[in-house]
Amino acid sequence: MTAFIPRSAARVAASVLAFALIAGCATPPPADDQEAVAEWQQINDPLEPTNRAIFEFNQAVDKALLKPLAQGYRAAVPQFGRDRVRDFLNNLRAPIVFANDVLQGQPDRAVQTAMRFAFNTGFGIAGLFDIAGEGGIPFHDEDFGQTFAVWGVPDGPYLVLPILGPSNPRDTTGLAAEWLADPVNIWWDNTDKEWAIWTRTGVAGIDKRERFLDSLDEIERTSLDFYAAVRSLYRQRRDAEIRNDTVVDKVPAASISAAEESGQESH
Amino acid sequence: MLSRRTLIAALAMGALVAFGGAANADARQDAARAFIATLADTAMATVAVKDISDDERNRRFRTLFVDSFDLPEIGKLVLGRYWRIATPPQQREFLRLFEDIQVLTWAKRFKDYSGETLDIVAVHPDGELNVSVDSLIRRRKLDPIAVTWLVRKAGESFRVLDIKVEGASMAFTHRSEYTSVIQSSGGQVEGLLTAMRRKIGQMEADQSAAAR
Repeated sequence: MTAFIPRSAARVAASVLAFALIAGCATPPPADDQEAVAEWQQINDPLEPTNRAIFEFNQAVDKALLKPLAQGYRAAVPQFGRDRVRDFLNNLRAPIVFANDVLQGQPDRAVQTAMRFAFNTGFGIAGLFDIAGEGGIPFHDEDFGQTFAVWGVPDGPYLVLPILGPSNPRDTTGLAAEWLADPVNIWWDNTDKEWAIWTRTGVAGIDKRERFLDSLDEIERTSLDFYAAVRSLYRQRRDAEIRNDTVVDKVPAASISAAEESGQESH
Repeated sequence: MLSRRTLIAALAMGALVAFGGAANADARQDAARAFIATLADTAMATVAVKDISDDERNRRFRTLFVDSFDLPEIGKLVLGRYWRIATPPQQREFLRLFEDIQVLTWAKRFKDYSGETLDIVAVHPDGELNVSVDSLIRRRKLDPIAVTWLVRKAGESFRVLDIKVEGASMAFTHRSEYTSVIQSSGGQVEGLLTAMRRKIGQMEADQSAAAR
């Protein structure tokens, strides 16, 4: 099942590690300056010089490749098509979301995920249409990083991963676990459809980048230190996700779909 | 021994105090809700209109912002421990530059306005003085954005202390970012002020380039 981890990934990891050793660590403040020490602990970014270097590398890749791809995707595919892609990808995530609902001790949410998967895979034409969401069971996301957090695992220092972006040891471990444990990926791997795994990963990446096109531009436009702003926003956003305190968790489904309907009418 | 009548009177008094307190809190929450609703309506009617110049939009937003946000308090929150290190002229300069950046940030957002509406979904007290107002910004075809307004009573009205967008606090994010800028200039507040002036110059240039 590890066949879909290519050798090139190991090579990238090795060179990033070597690079990290060269770029080194940030200098902690003197122990007698208590406020500075508290600040250092709160920022919790001992690898800042390395992280900043990887962040710049990611920025360059983004400007040259990912952002133009996402812009092209937005321009070429109308909203209806992008919604079908999003619904399809969300449905493929159902087994992972279900597993994490269970592992977090949330039977109600697990049942919701299972019902969504059954409805959308069947009536929603293999997940292309989110029938369950319109029927009042909205999509919610979970991942192993959030589950570890619920179990009390601390996030650890801030990490910027090549291409994948902001993370930390806990969420990186979660990401690796998901990549290896995803039943859809395992099934594709066992039936010699590795192309499907890579296509899914690529499309999911472009879909995610498209969603963040406007907000990331706004943060870059208005921030003095883009790196520090993204670091802070990533952590706060993650905390909200872990607490299940995001808009889909808080607002009853009916009022979201009502808003969508009124939006469509006025268009 | 307490007479029956005194006991009843005492109980009634207690109930009155408790109920009166609750009624006060309710009144404060209703007022906070009305304050945010009015703020959104005013912004829509004055800043988000299409046929005004950029300068006029900046000016209108600045008036609204200064009137309804507690800038000195936000400034202290954002600068954190560096507020005390900063000299009074640096503090004043910081508040002025912070205001300019916010004006340039939000004026553009209102210029790009395309029919979003604000719905207040919940109001709850936050400590002794503050009230949290949960709202949803509804957008055409896109998912709504959850925005929480932290407001504090100021005289007859309220002042906004912080805005949380999808769980991320604006004040906290600025604080973390500005701390980082100060640190990279050797702990000097002056380094932050320089970076802010540069950013304002850049944003103004962007604004006039877009107007051309």
